[in-house]
Amino acid sequence: MRKLKIALWSLIVLIVGSLLHYNLPQHDVVRITSTEVIRMDFSGLNRFFFAQADSASAELTTRDMRLINTVKRQTWILGFFQRPSEKVMVYRNEDTGWNWPPYFKFDSSDLQAEASANVSSPDTEQWAVITHYGWRNRYFTVYPNAIAIRPIDGPDATVIPWFNIFFFITMGVLALLVRAMWRQFRERTIDPALQDAGEAWDKVDAYADEKRGRVRRWLDTWRGKPRG
Amino acid sequence: MAFLRLFIFGFLALSVLYLALSIYFRSLTRERLEKEWRADNPGSDDEAAHDAYVEAGIREYNAGIRPKLILLVYVIPTVLVIAALVIINTN
Repeated sequence: MRKLKIALWSLIVLIVGSLLHYNLPQHDVVRITSTEVIRMDFSGLNRFFFAQADSASAELTTRDMRLINTVKRQTWILGFFQRPSEKVMVYRNEDTGWNWPPYFKFDSSDLQAEASANVSSPDTEQWAVITHYGWRNRYFTVYPNAIAIRPIDGPDATVIPWFNIFFFITMGVLALLVRAMWRQFRERTIDPALQDAGEAWDKVDAYADEKRGRVRRWLDTWRGKPRG
Repeated sequence: MAFLRLFIFGFLALSVLYLALSIYFRSLTRERLEKEWRADNPGSDDEAAHDAYVEAGIREYNAGIRPKLILLVYVIPTVLVIAALVIINTN
Protein backbone atom coordinates (compact mmCIF):
# COMPACT_ATOMS: atom_id res chain seq x y z
CA MET A 1 0.00 0.00 0.00
CA ARG A 2 2.81 2.35 0.97
CA LYS A 3 4.76 1.45 -2.14
CA LEU A 4 1.67 1.96 -4.30
CA LYS A 5 1.19 5.39 -2.75
CA ILE A 6 4.80 6.36 -3.42
CA ALA A 7 4.53 5.09 -7.00
CA LEU A 8 1.30 7.02 -7.58
CA TRP A 9 2.72 10.25 -6.17
CA SER A 10 5.93 9.84 -8.21
CA LEU A 11 3.81 9.41 -11.33
CA ILE A 12 1.77 12.55 -10.56
CA VAL A 13 4.91 14.58 -9.84
CA LEU A 14 6.51 13.28 -13.04
CA ILE A 15 3.50 14.16 -15.22
CA VAL A 16 2.90 17.59 -13.70
CA GLY A 17 6.63 18.32 -13.74
CA SER A 18 6.91 17.36 -17.42
CA LEU A 19 3.87 19.46 -18.32
CA LEU A 20 5.34 22.49 -16.55
CA HIS A 21 8.81 21.89 -17.99
CA TYR A 22 7.40 21.64 -21.48
CA ASN A 23 5.00 24.59 -21.31
CA LEU A 24 6.70 27.21 -19.13
CA PRO A 25 9.08 29.68 -20.78
CA GLN A 26 12.83 29.12 -20.50
CA HIS A 27 15.70 31.36 -21.49
CA ASP A 28 18.76 30.30 -23.46
CA VAL A 29 21.86 32.38 -24.13
CA VAL A 30 22.70 31.75 -27.78
CA ARG A 31 24.54 32.91 -30.88
CA ILE A 32 22.20 32.72 -33.86
CA THR A 33 24.04 31.17 -36.79
CA SER A 34 21.33 31.10 -39.44
CA THR A 35 17.64 30.91 -40.10
CA GLU A 36 15.93 28.58 -42.53
CA VAL A 37 12.60 27.24 -43.66
CA ILE A 38 12.03 23.52 -44.11
CA ARG A 39 9.05 21.67 -45.45
CA MET A 40 7.62 19.34 -42.84
CA ASP A 41 5.00 16.62 -42.81
CA PHE A 42 2.64 17.04 -39.87
CA SER A 43 0.76 13.75 -40.13
CA GLY A 44 3.34 11.75 -38.20
CA LEU A 45 3.87 10.63 -34.62
CA ASN A 46 5.38 13.94 -33.58
CA ARG A 47 2.38 16.07 -34.65
CA PHE A 48 1.56 16.63 -30.99
CA PHE A 49 4.80 18.55 -30.51
CA PHE A 50 4.10 21.15 -33.17
CA ALA A 51 1.77 24.12 -32.99
CA GLN A 52 -0.09 25.24 -36.08
CA ALA A 53 0.21 26.94 -39.44
CA ASP A 54 0.52 30.71 -39.41
CA SER A 55 -2.52 32.24 -37.82
CA ALA A 56 -5.50 32.60 -40.20
CA SER A 57 -4.07 30.20 -42.81
CA ALA A 58 -5.42 26.75 -43.56
CA GLU A 59 -3.94 23.81 -41.73
CA LEU A 60 -2.42 21.36 -44.23
CA THR A 61 -0.67 18.10 -43.48
CA THR A 62 2.55 19.41 -45.01
CA ARG A 63 3.73 22.98 -44.79
CA ASP A 64 6.83 25.11 -44.41
CA MET A 65 8.22 25.66 -40.96
CA ARG A 66 10.66 28.32 -39.82
CA LEU A 67 13.78 27.22 -37.95
CA ILE A 68 16.40 29.21 -36.07
CA ASN A 69 19.84 27.58 -35.88
CA THR A 70 21.99 28.57 -32.94
CA VAL A 71 24.96 27.75 -30.78
CA LYS A 72 23.81 27.69 -27.21
CA ARG A 73 25.53 28.13 -23.87
CA GLN A 74 24.98 25.00 -21.82
CA THR A 75 23.53 25.15 -18.35
CA TRP A 76 23.05 23.02 -15.25
CA ILE A 77 19.72 22.29 -13.52
CA LEU A 78 16.92 23.90 -15.55
CA GLY A 79 19.15 26.72 -16.71
CA PHE A 80 19.93 28.11 -13.26
CA PHE A 81 23.70 27.68 -13.59
CA GLN A 82 25.67 28.53 -16.69
CA ARG A 83 28.45 26.33 -17.99
CA PRO A 84 31.29 27.53 -20.20
CA SER A 85 30.60 24.81 -22.80
CA GLU A 86 28.49 25.23 -25.92
CA LYS A 87 26.35 23.03 -28.14
CA VAL A 88 24.17 23.58 -31.16
CA MET A 89 20.46 24.09 -30.72
CA VAL A 90 17.68 24.40 -33.27
CA TYR A 91 14.43 26.19 -32.50
CA ARG A 92 11.25 26.13 -34.51
CA ASN A 93 9.35 29.37 -34.90
CA GLU A 94 5.61 28.77 -35.13
CA ASP A 95 2.50 30.73 -34.23
CA THR A 96 0.69 29.32 -31.23
CA GLY A 97 -2.25 31.66 -31.83
CA TRP A 98 -5.20 30.96 -29.55
CA ASN A 99 -4.11 27.35 -29.07
CA TRP A 100 -2.22 25.64 -26.30
CA PRO A 101 0.21 26.66 -24.86
CA PRO A 102 -1.26 30.11 -24.20
CA TYR A 103 1.58 32.30 -25.45
CA PHE A 104 -0.73 34.07 -27.93
CA LYS A 105 2.11 34.26 -30.41
CA PHE A 106 1.09 35.53 -33.84
CA ASP A 107 4.34 37.17 -34.90
CA SER A 108 6.45 34.29 -36.21
CA SER A 109 7.46 36.25 -39.32
CA ASP A 110 8.63 39.20 -37.23
CA LEU A 111 10.52 36.89 -34.91
CA GLN A 112 12.23 35.32 -37.91
CA ALA A 113 13.23 38.80 -39.08
CA GLU A 114 14.58 39.57 -35.61
CA ALA A 115 16.57 36.36 -35.68
CA SER A 116 18.01 37.26 -39.08
CA ALA A 117 18.86 40.74 -37.82
CA ASN A 118 20.88 39.28 -34.95
CA VAL A 119 22.85 36.63 -36.81
CA SER A 120 26.29 36.17 -35.31
CA SER A 121 29.44 35.77 -37.39
CA PRO A 122 32.85 34.39 -36.30
CA ASP A 123 34.39 37.90 -36.45
CA THR A 124 31.65 39.74 -34.63
CA GLU A 125 29.95 37.53 -32.10
CA GLN A 126 26.40 38.59 -31.43
CA TRP A 127 24.76 37.07 -28.36
CA ALA A 128 21.06 36.91 -27.68
CA VAL A 129 18.62 35.52 -25.16
CA ILE A 130 16.01 33.28 -26.74
CA THR A 131 12.85 32.71 -24.75
CA HIS A 132 11.27 29.41 -25.70
CA TYR A 133 9.09 26.57 -24.54
CA GLY A 134 9.22 22.92 -25.51
CA TRP A 135 11.85 20.25 -25.92
CA ARG A 136 14.39 19.22 -28.51
CA ASN A 137 14.25 15.55 -29.37
CA ARG A 138 16.33 14.19 -32.22
CA TYR A 139 14.64 10.78 -32.42
CA PHE A 140 11.18 12.23 -32.92
CA THR A 141 12.30 15.46 -34.66
CA VAL A 142 10.85 17.76 -32.05
CA TYR A 143 12.00 21.36 -31.62
CA PRO A 144 11.42 23.93 -28.89
CA ASN A 145 9.35 26.90 -30.08
CA ALA A 146 11.08 30.30 -29.88
CA ILE A 147 8.91 33.04 -28.39
CA ALA A 148 11.17 36.08 -28.18
CA ILE A 149 14.70 37.15 -29.05
CA ARG A 150 16.61 39.83 -27.16
CA PRO A 151 20.14 40.84 -28.21
CA ILE A 152 22.64 41.08 -25.33
CA ASP A 153 26.24 42.33 -25.07
CA GLY A 154 27.96 39.20 -23.91
CA PRO A 155 27.31 35.58 -23.03
CA ASP A 156 27.38 36.18 -19.27
CA ALA A 157 23.90 37.59 -18.97
CA THR A 158 21.77 37.03 -15.90
CA VAL A 159 18.18 36.35 -16.85
CA ILE A 160 15.57 36.59 -14.10
CA PRO A 161 12.60 34.37 -14.94
CA TRP A 162 9.94 36.89 -13.91
CA PHE A 163 7.09 35.03 -15.51
CA ASN A 164 7.91 31.76 -13.77
CA ILE A 165 8.28 33.52 -10.41
CA PHE A 166 4.87 35.13 -10.91
CA PHE A 167 3.41 31.83 -12.12
CA PHE A 168 4.56 29.76 -9.15
CA ILE A 169 3.52 32.41 -6.62
CA THR A 170 0.06 32.50 -8.24
CA MET A 171 -0.15 28.70 -8.16
CA GLY A 172 0.83 28.71 -4.47
CA VAL A 173 -1.79 31.33 -3.63
CA LEU A 174 -4.43 29.38 -5.57
CA ALA A 175 -3.51 26.16 -3.76
CA LEU A 176 -3.84 27.90 -0.37
CA LEU A 177 -7.17 29.38 -1.47
CA VAL A 178 -8.53 26.00 -2.54
CA ARG A 179 -7.37 24.52 0.78
CA ALA A 180 -9.08 27.31 2.74
CA MET A 181 -12.26 26.90 0.69
CA TRP A 182 -12.28 23.15 1.24
CA ARG A 183 -11.80 23.59 5.00
CA GLN A 184 -14.63 26.12 5.17
CA PHE A 185 -16.88 23.82 3.15
CA ARG A 186 -16.07 20.89 5.43
CA GLU A 187 -16.56 22.87 8.62
CA ARG A 188 -19.81 24.54 7.55
CA THR A 189 -21.45 21.98 5.27
CA ILE A 190 -20.08 18.45 5.58
CA ASP A 191 -19.52 18.25 9.33
CA PRO A 192 -23.02 19.52 10.27
CA ALA A 193 -24.53 17.16 7.71
CA LEU A 194 -22.56 14.26 9.17
CA GLN A 195 -23.60 15.31 12.64
CA ASP A 196 -27.24 15.37 11.54
CA ALA A 197 -26.81 12.01 9.87
CA GLY A 198 -25.17 10.69 13.02
CA GLU A 199 -28.04 11.93 15.16
CA ALA A 200 -30.56 10.47 12.72
CA TRP A 201 -28.73 7.16 12.80
CA ASP A 202 -28.71 7.17 16.59
CA LYS A 203 -32.47 7.66 16.52
CA VAL A 204 -32.92 4.80 14.05
CA ASP A 205 -30.67 2.66 16.20
CA ALA A 206 -32.58 3.44 19.37
CA TYR A 207 -35.90 2.76 17.61
CA ALA A 208 -34.58 -0.55 16.31
CA ASP A 209 -33.36 -1.47 19.78
CA GLU A 210 -36.75 -0.70 21.21
CA LYS A 211 -38.55 -2.67 18.50
CA ARG A 212 -36.21 -5.59 18.91
CA GLY A 213 -36.82 -5.42 22.62
CA ARG A 214 -40.56 -5.63 22.05
CA VAL A 215 -40.26 -8.49 19.54
CA ARG A 216 -37.87 -10.28 21.84
CA ARG A 217 -40.27 -9.89 24.76
CA TRP A 218 -43.10 -11.20 22.59
CA LEU A 219 -40.97 -14.12 21.41
CA ASP A 220 -39.98 -14.86 24.96
CA THR A 221 -43.63 -15.39 25.86
CA TRP A 222 -43.59 -18.43 23.58
CA ARG A 223 -40.66 -19.91 25.37
CA GLY A 224 -41.34 -22.66 27.79
CA LYS A 225 -41.25 -21.76 31.41
CA PRO A 226 -38.06 -22.86 33.03
CA ARG A 227 -38.76 -26.18 34.53
CA GLY A 228 -37.86 -26.55 38.05
CA MET B 1 -12.48 28.55 -34.03
CA ALA B 2 -9.56 28.21 -31.67
CA PHE B 3 -10.46 31.60 -30.23
CA LEU B 4 -14.01 30.42 -29.60
CA ARG B 5 -12.71 27.31 -27.88
CA LEU B 6 -10.44 29.37 -25.64
CA PHE B 7 -13.29 31.78 -24.90
CA ILE B 8 -15.83 29.07 -24.02
CA PHE B 9 -13.53 26.91 -21.91
CA GLY B 10 -11.98 29.94 -20.25
CA PHE B 11 -15.43 31.27 -19.43
CA LEU B 12 -16.51 27.92 -17.98
CA ALA B 13 -13.38 27.59 -15.86
CA LEU B 14 -13.64 31.15 -14.55
CA SER B 15 -17.34 30.67 -13.82
CA VAL B 16 -16.53 27.68 -11.63
CA LEU B 17 -13.98 29.81 -9.79
CA TYR B 18 -16.48 32.68 -9.53
CA LEU B 19 -19.21 30.49 -8.04
CA ALA B 20 -16.80 28.81 -5.63
CA LEU B 21 -15.46 32.18 -4.43
CA SER B 22 -18.99 33.61 -4.05
CA ILE B 23 -20.03 30.69 -1.87
CA TYR B 24 -16.77 30.81 0.09
CA PHE B 25 -16.90 34.53 0.95
CA ARG B 26 -20.63 34.40 1.79
CA SER B 27 -19.95 31.46 4.08
CA LEU B 28 -17.12 33.38 5.79
CA THR B 29 -19.44 36.37 6.27
CA ARG B 30 -22.18 34.16 7.71
CA GLU B 31 -19.75 32.57 10.14
CA ARG B 32 -18.48 35.98 11.24
CA LEU B 33 -22.06 37.22 11.80
CA GLU B 34 -22.96 34.15 13.82
CA LYS B 35 -19.88 34.58 16.00
CA GLU B 36 -20.64 38.30 16.46
CA TRP B 37 -24.16 37.56 17.64
CA ARG B 38 -22.95 34.84 20.02
CA ALA B 39 -20.38 37.26 21.44
CA ASP B 40 -23.00 40.02 21.90
CA ASN B 41 -25.64 37.71 23.37
CA PRO B 42 -23.80 35.18 25.48
CA GLY B 43 -25.92 32.30 26.68
CA SER B 44 -28.97 33.35 24.70
CA ASP B 45 -30.89 30.73 22.74
CA ASP B 46 -33.25 33.11 20.92
CA GLU B 47 -32.96 31.42 17.51
CA ALA B 48 -35.29 33.92 15.80
CA ALA B 49 -33.23 36.95 16.85
CA HIS B 50 -30.05 35.12 15.90
CA ASP B 51 -31.37 34.26 12.40
CA ALA B 52 -32.73 37.79 11.90
CA TYR B 53 -29.33 39.30 12.77
CA VAL B 54 -27.47 36.92 10.43
CA GLU B 55 -29.92 37.41 7.54
CA ALA B 56 -29.75 41.20 7.91
CA GLY B 57 -25.96 40.98 7.83
CA ILE B 58 -26.03 38.79 4.71
CA ARG B 59 -28.40 41.25 2.97
CA GLU B 60 -26.01 44.07 3.84
CA TYR B 61 -23.08 42.03 2.49
CA ASN B 62 -24.96 41.27 -0.75
CA ALA B 63 -25.76 44.95 -1.26
CA GLY B 64 -22.15 46.02 -0.63
CA ILE B 65 -19.20 46.23 -2.99
CA ARG B 66 -17.44 43.08 -1.79
CA PRO B 67 -19.46 40.43 -3.66
CA LYS B 68 -19.09 42.52 -6.81
CA LEU B 69 -15.32 42.47 -6.43
CA ILE B 70 -15.42 38.72 -7.13
CA LEU B 71 -16.24 39.68 -10.74
CA LEU B 72 -12.53 40.58 -10.96
CA VAL B 73 -12.12 36.83 -11.50
CA TYR B 74 -13.28 37.50 -15.08
CA VAL B 75 -11.51 40.84 -15.49
CA ILE B 76 -7.98 39.96 -14.35
CA PRO B 77 -7.40 36.98 -16.69
CA THR B 78 -8.80 38.97 -19.61
CA VAL B 79 -6.41 41.80 -18.86
CA LEU B 80 -3.54 39.33 -18.52
CA VAL B 81 -4.37 37.75 -21.90
CA ILE B 82 -4.48 41.17 -23.58
CA ALA B 83 -1.19 42.08 -21.88
CA ALA B 84 0.37 38.84 -23.10
CA LEU B 85 -0.90 39.51 -26.63
CA VAL B 86 0.69 42.96 -26.66
CA ILE B 87 3.97 41.93 -25.00
CA ILE B 88 4.53 38.83 -27.15
CA ASN B 89 3.55 40.42 -30.46
CA THR B 90 5.38 43.73 -30.33
CA ASN B 91 9.10 43.88 -30.93
